[in-house]
Amino acid sequence: MAPVTAFRRTWSELLRNPLDHWGFALWRVALVAGLGALVGLFVGHVWWGVVAALAIELARHLAHLHDFEDWLRRRNRRDPPDAGGLWGDVVSLVSRLHRRKQFHKQRILRLFRELRRSTASMPDGVIALNAAREILWFNRKAGELLGLRRKTDFGIHLASLLRVPEFARYLDKGEFGSSLRIHPRIGDPTCLEFQGAPYGDGQLFLLVRDVTRQEHLETMRKDFVANASHELRSPLTVIAGYLETLALDGDMPADIRAPIIEMRRQAERMTAIVSDLLELSRLEATDEQVIGQPIDVGALLAILKKDLAARGGAAHQVDIRIESPEGLMGDPGLIQSAFWNLADNAAKYTPAGGAIVLRWWVDDLGGHFSVSDTGPGISAEHLPRLTERFYRVDPGRARDTGGSGLGLAIVRHVLQRHGGELRIESVEGRGSTFSCHFLPLRLVHEPVAMPSDSRYSSSQQV
Amino acid sequence: MTESGDLSQHISRRFNEDLDRVRSQVLNMGGFVEQQLAKAVTALVEGDSTLGETVARDDFQVNRMEVSIDEECSRILATRAPAASDLRLIVAIIKAITDLERMGDECEKIGHIASRLAAQERPADKYREIKHLGRVVQNMVHDSLDAFARMDPEAALRVARQDRLVDEEYEAIQRQSITFMMEDPRAIRRVIDVMWVVRALERIGDHAKNICEYVVFMVHGKDIRHVRLEDVETELARRNGGS
Repeated sequence: MAPVTAFRRTWSELLRNPLDHWGFALWRVALVAGLGALVGLFVGHVWWGVVAALAIELARHLAHLHDFEDWLRRRNRRDPPDAGGLWGDVVSLVSRLHRRKQFHKQRILRLFRELRRSTASMPDGVIALNAAREILWFNRKAGELLGLRRKTDFGIHLASLLRVPEFARYLDKGEFGSSLRIHPRIGDPTCLEFQGAPYGDGQLFLLVRDVTRQEHLETMRKDFVANASHELRSPLTVIAGYLETLALDGDMPADIRAPIIEMRRQAERMTAIVSDLLELSRLEATDEQVIGQPIDVGALLAILKKDLAARGGAAHQVDIRIESPEGLMGDPGLIQSAFWNLADNAAKYTPAGGAIVLRWWVDDLGGHFSVSDTGPGISAEHLPRLTERFYRVDPGRARDTGGSGLGLAIVRHVLQRHGGELRIESVEGRGSTFSCHFLPLRLVHEPVAMPSDSRYSSSQQV
Repeated sequence: MTESGDLSQHISRRFNEDLDRVRSQVLNMGGFVEQQLAKAVTALVEGDSTLGETVARDDFQVNRMEVSIDEECSRILATRAPAASDLRLIVAIIKAITDLERMGDECEKIGHIASRLAAQERPADKYREIKHLGRVVQNMVHDSLDAFARMDPEAALRVARQDRLVDEEYEAIQRQSITFMMEDPRAIRRVIDVMWVVRALERIGDHAKNICEYVVFMVHGKDIRHVRLEDVETELARRNGGS
């Protein structure tokens, strides 16, 4: 149907406008044929004349076609052929299409180049990975930070080039809620922070930042705390020693005696803070999980009960409930320090006559240790900040209890090193429960023989 | 040029994925060995006995990785019957993991010695030579694995050439140690331990060189073991020029 209608339209246009290009071409063929016939009439061969004339016309068309084809083939280097009439129409149509395409191509190219230049100037590295975690693309900064090469490294598994085990684990785990800090070259101070952002169909955008400076500052801060505490310890020992001697001196006038006893108490508190700071900085020094050894939790709780009775201050009803025979795999010193901190806290804040329950039980989720007391409880707004260093629910009370303000921070760090978690529940006026949760793989099912380690014997630090 | 492109032109996509997976497992293992090496050297140089023990204890993970990759390779050989460059890849992987496992063993040895030496007095030079040799060997291992990941024979040859540097360093430390022992016979025990560490590092360098040779074998299909490196280079240059 279509060619017929097209032909009809052409024909009607031809009749309406006999001098446009199609019309002109057709009239021209007719004219050439007529001229050929006329010349043929003179020579005596009419049809030969027509044929010769049409052949010349065909040759002219072929020549235009050749020009046109030649231009199409090399259109980027040549100007369009200069042909009039129908061929000129075709050439101008095609060259207009070509120009439009060229324009779009240029625009996309410009956009792309702009994008590449802008990502290259980004201060952070960006890497795009496909679902198999192979490199699709990366910007200049990422190449510099990770030593990637533009020509060869596309399509290579990123974890094959950045072979830090933690990094492979981070990519495999597929949880990109948090960032990851690693040292890409071991022994090199360079520290990089990675943050994944999944997109599309399993692909991943990976942002890379050089955090060597921050890391350095943090190390310096930690070192400073550790060194300062260490340096403070020796003068404190001397001061506390003399104060102790003075406090025991019976000849001391009564008006000096009271301040000296108070000074001695505060010096002891300072010693406790310094030793807690030291312990905390030791704990912070590494994130590595503790392997440790089997711990008999039942025996440990019995020691805690004895220590609670010996600590002095208000008297409490202390109960131990050991509901499972399983032991715990961990560092005995650290675990005891954490459990003691919780038990000591409970004793500190529970008024005389109150009850403290130490409980150990095992279920499908793992092992759990909890300390419950019938103290005043903690209001909900304090709970999230309770494990921060030196955080006080009631700043006025701190002086009475003599705590360092670091106990819960230590507990939290000890549990982190054991893959565990601290949970706090509290009802104001009714009491609080601090519980430590350990994963099932931390449990020991055989009966545990308690090693006669001195660390078990007493946990009270002086 | 290289035939690494061939890897991606396979009829069977699953096969390709198998190969890619086993290759990234090898590099995973390599990353772990690199970490073990760095930890072992740090443990010795800084006198950290706990770190030394950790390195010695974690060696079982290297062995476990070797066994699992080995099984995977056997499975691929049995079920897919690879040919040409794929076969070379599998053969190279089987050889490379043996070398990586040996490197792990050497690291374990260094870890043991480090935890033993930590209890003793550290020498005046603070193991400067070991630190230096350790860094050279660590770089060699790192670069050889990079060459393996990129299938880059030129880089592999560059790394293989460094092995001579390690050997020279080894000789130098040996001579120096003999002087130490003659000067102070009480230090003999310690210096012998240190010699074991240096020896282990030198062996690790050799294993890294082996891995580089497998890279050349994998890409060019040419076995360059026991051949002088200069000859290999001229041969490869001739080939690249010819093709």
